[in-house]
Amino acid sequence: MDFYLGLAQVIGIHTLLGLSAWCVLHTGQVSLAQGGFFAIGAYAAGMLTSMWGWPLAAALATGALMAAAVAVAVGFPALRVKGLMLVVATTAFAEIVRLFFFNLQWRVQTPAGPVGPDGSLGFGGIRYFPSNGWTTLQVCILIWVLVAAVMFMLWWLDRSRVGTVWRAVGEDELAAQSAGINLTAAKVSAFGIGGGIAGLAGGVFAHYATHIEHSNFSILLATFAIAYPIIGGLSSLAGTLLAVIFIQGFLTEGLRFIGDWRSLLFGVLIVVVMLVRPSGFLNRSLGRSLGLGRATATPQTGDATRGASTHA
Amino acid sequence: MLELKNLSRHFGGVKAVDQLELTVRKGEILGLIGPNGSGKSTTVNLITGVYQPSAGSVQFKGQDISALPPHRRTELGLARTFQNIRLFGQLTVWQNLWAARVVREAGWAGFRERWLSGAKAAREQAEELLVFGDLAHKRDMLAANLAFGEQRRLELIRAAASGAELLLLDEPAAGMNAEEIQDLDSRIRRLRDQGRTILLIEHHMELVMEVCDRVAVLNFGRKIAEGTPAEVQQDAQVRAAYLGTDEPATA
Repeated sequence: MDFYLGLAQVIGIHTLLGLSAWCVLHTGQVSLAQGGFFAIGAYAAGMLTSMWGWPLAAALATGALMAAAVAVAVGFPALRVKGLMLVVATTAFAEIVRLFFFNLQWRVQTPAGPVGPDGSLGFGGIRYFPSNGWTTLQVCILIWVLVAAVMFMLWWLDRSRVGTVWRAVGEDELAAQSAGINLTAAKVSAFGIGGGIAGLAGGVFAHYATHIEHSNFSILLATFAIAYPIIGGLSSLAGTLLAVIFIQGFLTEGLRFIGDWRSLLFGVLIVVVMLVRPSGFLNRSLGRSLGLGRATATPQTGDATRGASTHA
Repeated sequence: MLELKNLSRHFGGVKAVDQLELTVRKGEILGLIGPNGSGKSTTVNLITGVYQPSAGSVQFKGQDISALPPHRRTELGLARTFQNIRLFGQLTVWQNLWAARVVREAGWAGFRERWLSGAKAAREQAEELLVFGDLAHKRDMLAANLAFGEQRRLELIRAAASGAELLLLDEPAAGMNAEEIQDLDSRIRRLRDQGRTILLIEHHMELVMEVCDRVAVLNFGRKIAEGTPAEVQQDAQVRAAYLGTDEPATA
């Protein structure tokens, strides 16, 4: 039973992480910085509860807000670059964050002994759950309440004008600008909200793991973050959740017997999805038949190719 | 409504637009024509803010907008369509309009428009435009799946959905057959009758001569003639520019 509860916790945390990338991908930006925002939330929330005895809710909220603030700060310069250059820039940012925590040493005395980030040795003793007598089940419920809350918020957002504007920016930036859409506001708000969600996920992760270190926040984590919405498809939130369940539940845990070959399968999966279903496994037409999507989809017509000709 | 003052844009040594003076009056349909490469598209891009002018200024409703980014110009009431249709393909027809609605309200009303489902009046406006564009029955279809003529109509009403007072139509008839052009003609007139001003950049002479109140002619980045369609058709320099002479026309 504990194995499944543990797995449910991991799936919940990774769903939050995937949803954070979902926000940013909507505006057409591929960001590998989500792992960095996750790390900021993890360290901030972990430090607040373990070093200064903050209540959990306040620590998680503060961690999320700090990650969101950093994301907004990163979002502005990131506007200047697109596509591959944005991938490089956000990767560099995530590495800066990782190396910052690799070097950060800040220990304080508590009744339970010295606590705090200890550089390359990591940051242990984030023992809010055990010392407050939380059971694994309770932690699991907390995580999934947060997942549900974030999913509801994003579902709401996607129906609002803000969500439509994000999608419009992701479709065509010049057309969006000409339609009166402020690109800066759209991209930075997506970065900020996505960063906040990643920070929340990080805060939960720190308390779930009780010990975190810089290597938890490597580029692999950021790759997972964007892989979920890409594999699941951007047209619905459920796609991201299903992708996490598939990758974490089946690919990582279910195939444990094949050992490290699993990471290779992860790469294969991404390539296959890109080839077979570029808009994600759960694209609009499948989503609609499952009652998840809203948009009507019919096969592409060739008509759009007309119009190049002009009458002189 | 719109004034171009001494507007120039040079690309290296090429004077794409050179000392252009042009005034669009409120409520009129002004045609901007010229042979290929005469600077029409550059002019559109200068007015909408895609390019910055090398010299001169763009004035809209008495305000110098030369330095404003494109979305600010649209907020002020200036919207465009594109020669090569640029819709939000993976958004529905309705979402295309909804994304293009410029929120000008402040405070709670603005918050409601941005983050909630929007005020009833705003949705009704968009519905009216759907009816105007004959697209009400396709409101939930993805824009990419519309037929060519429907995509053109959606671009037109998307520009109008921003609440624009001045519409810049960049070759809206490109690729259309005679029947579709007739339809476009009446739609442009109806948009004007709703109180909008229209700057029509077009290759299709019949449409321009039919629908425009006044016409300005560009050649080599300069304005070589301006007047009613009849006057412009009689103009010797215009005839030379279109029929071709060895001597470049001078203004």
